[in-house]
Amino acid sequence: MASLELRNIVKRYKSQTVLDNLSLTVADGETLVLFGPSGAGKTVLLRLVAGVIDPDEGKILIGGEDMTDVDAEFRGVGMAFQNFALFPHMTAFDNIATPLQAKHSSQGTIKAGVESVGKLLKIGHVLSHKPRALSNGQKQRTALARALVGSPPLLLLDDPLRNVDAKLRFEMRLELPRLLADRGATVVYVTQDYKEAMALGDRIAVMSQGVVKQLGTPEQIYREPANVEIARLFGDPTINLLDVKPSRDAKGVYVGLSNVQVHLAGAHEAAVGRDCVIGLRPEALAFVDEGTSGAIPVTVEAETPLNEKIVTLVRTVRGREILVSRPSGIPGQSEGRAHIAVDSKSALLFDRASGERIGSKNVVNLRSGEAA
Amino acid sequence: MEHTSLLERILRGIALALVVIFFMFPIVWILMMSFQTNETILRIPPQLVFEPTLANYTALITGKLMTAAGTLDIAFMRNLWNSVFLSVTSVAVALLLGVPAAYAFARHKFRGSEDIAFTLLSFRFAPALLVLLPLTLYFQKLGLANTYIGLIWVYQLICLPLILWIVRGYFEDIPADIEYAYRIAGHSWFATFRKIALPLAGPGIAAAGLLAFIFAWNNFVFALVLASADKQPVTVGALAFITSSGIQYGQISAAIVLSITPTLALALYAQRYLVEGLSLGAVKG
Amino acid sequence: MTAATIQRNRPSGFRISKRVLPYLLSLPALLVCIGILIPFLTSVVYSFQRYRLSQPWARQFNWGDNYISFFTDPKFWNTLEISLLYAGITVVLELLLGLGIAMLLQKRSTLNNFISIMLLMPLMTAPALAALMWKLMTNPGFGVLSYLASLIGLQDFRWASSPSTALLTVVLVDIWVYTPFIMILLLAGLRSLPTQPFEAAALDGVPRSFVFFRITLPMLTPYILTATLFRLLDSIQQFDIIYAMTQGGPGDTLTVFQVEAYLNFFQSTNVGRSAALMIILWAITYFLSNIFIKNWLRLRERARGHA
Repeated sequence: MASLELRNIVKRYKSQTVLDNLSLTVADGETLVLFGPSGAGKTVLLRLVAGVIDPDEGKILIGGEDMTDVDAEFRGVGMAFQNFALFPHMTAFDNIATPLQAKHSSQGTIKAGVESVGKLLKIGHVLSHKPRALSNGQKQRTALARALVGSPPLLLLDDPLRNVDAKLRFEMRLELPRLLADRGATVVYVTQDYKEAMALGDRIAVMSQGVVKQLGTPEQIYREPANVEIARLFGDPTINLLDVKPSRDAKGVYVGLSNVQVHLAGAHEAAVGRDCVIGLRPEALAFVDEGTSGAIPVTVEAETPLNEKIVTLVRTVRGREILVSRPSGIPGQSEGRAHIAVDSKSALLFDRASGERIGSKNVVNLRSGEAA
Repeated sequence: MEHTSLLERILRGIALALVVIFFMFPIVWILMMSFQTNETILRIPPQLVFEPTLANYTALITGKLMTAAGTLDIAFMRNLWNSVFLSVTSVAVALLLGVPAAYAFARHKFRGSEDIAFTLLSFRFAPALLVLLPLTLYFQKLGLANTYIGLIWVYQLICLPLILWIVRGYFEDIPADIEYAYRIAGHSWFATFRKIALPLAGPGIAAAGLLAFIFAWNNFVFALVLASADKQPVTVGALAFITSSGIQYGQISAAIVLSITPTLALALYAQRYLVEGLSLGAVKG
Repeated sequence: MTAATIQRNRPSGFRISKRVLPYLLSLPALLVCIGILIPFLTSVVYSFQRYRLSQPWARQFNWGDNYISFFTDPKFWNTLEISLLYAGITVVLELLLGLGIAMLLQKRSTLNNFISIMLLMPLMTAPALAALMWKLMTNPGFGVLSYLASLIGLQDFRWASSPSTALLTVVLVDIWVYTPFIMILLLAGLRSLPTQPFEAAALDGVPRSFVFFRITLPMLTPYILTATLFRLLDSIQQFDIIYAMTQGGPGDTLTVFQVEAYLNFFQSTNVGRSAALMIILWAITYFLSNIFIKNWLRLRERARGHA
């Protein structure tokens, strides 16, 4: 297998810097998800690793070996493209066979290899079709099969589920982790979908404007987002963000929410007296009886049952809208006046001006652990 | 737009008929003349009904022209062969040189690539004689005057910019990812060029080749300046033929028909691509 | 699955060829470029020389004399005038005719498509041969067009052999050959226009003339400009039709730039003057082609953007 190491990668297009002194290490057999908005440099990064474009500065090591100056065909990586990039003049079989042909495998080996990966990805019956005769889902599986067939030690998957319909995306999100785990390959996976990132990544690198803003396990990214932006990107429904100015009393640090003093657990000393934004995950809020300590009076505006949870939109007496989420089956309030309480341990405080989380630990260097 | 009155439809019909008559009449008329004897041609008023004869074509093909004064040799078949040979070879050479260059221009934006491409394009619009007249003097010194090699080299002036610009457009239309995917699968750039880029740009290359062939075939001034009788293509040959054969109008017509048939046939065969080709791919529909 | 499947058998030095590759690929085209630039520069040198093939010993630099003499040379002014006249008349007429025909054929129907394919045929005919065809048809003895002219009272209409009608005749041939070019380009343009503005105008009952001048023409402008410049560049350099038809005659009625240069070179063997004429023509076309290429690139970008 192969680890991947990027050292101080810089890539510019004309005057624009697409990747800015980026360093990243992916351990052998690990799945690293590159997450971020389009234009963050994720795809460029994959292409640099694949060797189809060259970095302006920096080094790329695959399996400990310097590959910076090695042409794409000698890097031994597998890659699936967002737009599939199938060869339109070849059948699905021939498309998938190309990596094996490059290794000068025998006809028998090629046939066996293609058919086994075709079966695995459930496209065995369409192998004789040209790409234009394939559905989007079949195209996507063909592209994936082509990336997998040579059992490359390093797999680069560029948002492979982007252009397929919701149902297939859901299926593949369940299927892919097992598939990738079975292969044992090192995987770099690009996506803009946070659920995909959470489901697939051993670690997630959140990218923005050519730099890694945060690197950590899905758990870390979710619980300790480095800034407001990341907090907003991860989580559905979106995190509640309210302007606050934390103060301190004998019981500790507290914030004022609708004239109610809500004390926060954890180390928030640094935030006292500063203009802050408090981030409250909808599932960190719960309906409580009136009179509970820290209970905030609200009016229920609307209730939306989703599959496994119920999301309620409430309004505080000050007119601020807040989303509250609870698992289906837990009783709540669906109309009228109500009270909510904050799980004070999971509250996040961000500096209002910079957006950085206050009291953030340096999570960037954390080694990958088991994702929760 | 659908509300057209009867009067308008009639006027449109008449206009279209006039257009078709104006543009088709010369071709039809010359075709008719080519099947007539000199006597019927010279009759006034011109005859629409006549007894067709193949004598003009036989004379051209056998190379023997029967006149009252005796038998005359005509080299028209030689001209026809020259046209075929010069056009085919020039296009083949232009494809060989132009397609890899077009690929380089499309895929690798290297330093100076745009300058070279534009220089070549601007030759398409420069006066031919500007280059041709000094070339005649050079060719005489180099021993290239009146040789096929010299002519084919000069024909690159027509064929190469055409192929370069049209084929470049087709290469640019191939998503780079497709070629990347093939490289990543473990294939060299040359294999990628051969197995991916060439097949996918195939129709465009064929169209550019056809168009270059038509332009080479129809060229007049290059051969007029640089070739003497035995190397001349039909365009120059037919002009010489008119002067030399005097009043053999039937044979002249037949010669013209034979000379324009290949390009017309190709044009009809490849008409879909012509619009793109003629405008150097500017108005892809 | 075994470890270390990375291929290590990569040739060293491959890197260099990767950088050089595009240059290698375009080298032949580059050589052709140079091969054209050399005669071009030679022409420039010739144009500053007194150089007659008949008197090679008297060859010497006379610097601007060839150009200066043009100012007082009525033959030059005749060449300039007839070239501009020829280009102007052909392009304007072909543009009007081509636009008209394109609009007649705009609706996609089997008949219209068939006609537009038929109209390709004159364009695909070699201009020199087209001139010969018309020469046969305008022959004073048996030419069908001469006969037709006599029917409408134009007895002894001399077509290309009379100085008063020679220009008309070659213009007619030019129109026959090249109108289809403009027609095809504009037809492609017309058919690629979005339909919504026209449907909206039709619904609102906007007069057709208004639709034509305010919607169709402005939207078609890039196509018209491309076609016009393309034709203008070719037309001002016209040689084939005029040379095949009249060799520049009768007299010097039709001695346009390239014909005049050709005659100067091969008949009067005056290389210097011939080269100077070509340089002037080149300057004119260079100016026009720069405008053209810019406009054409925009159109190309647009076409690509839509694809």
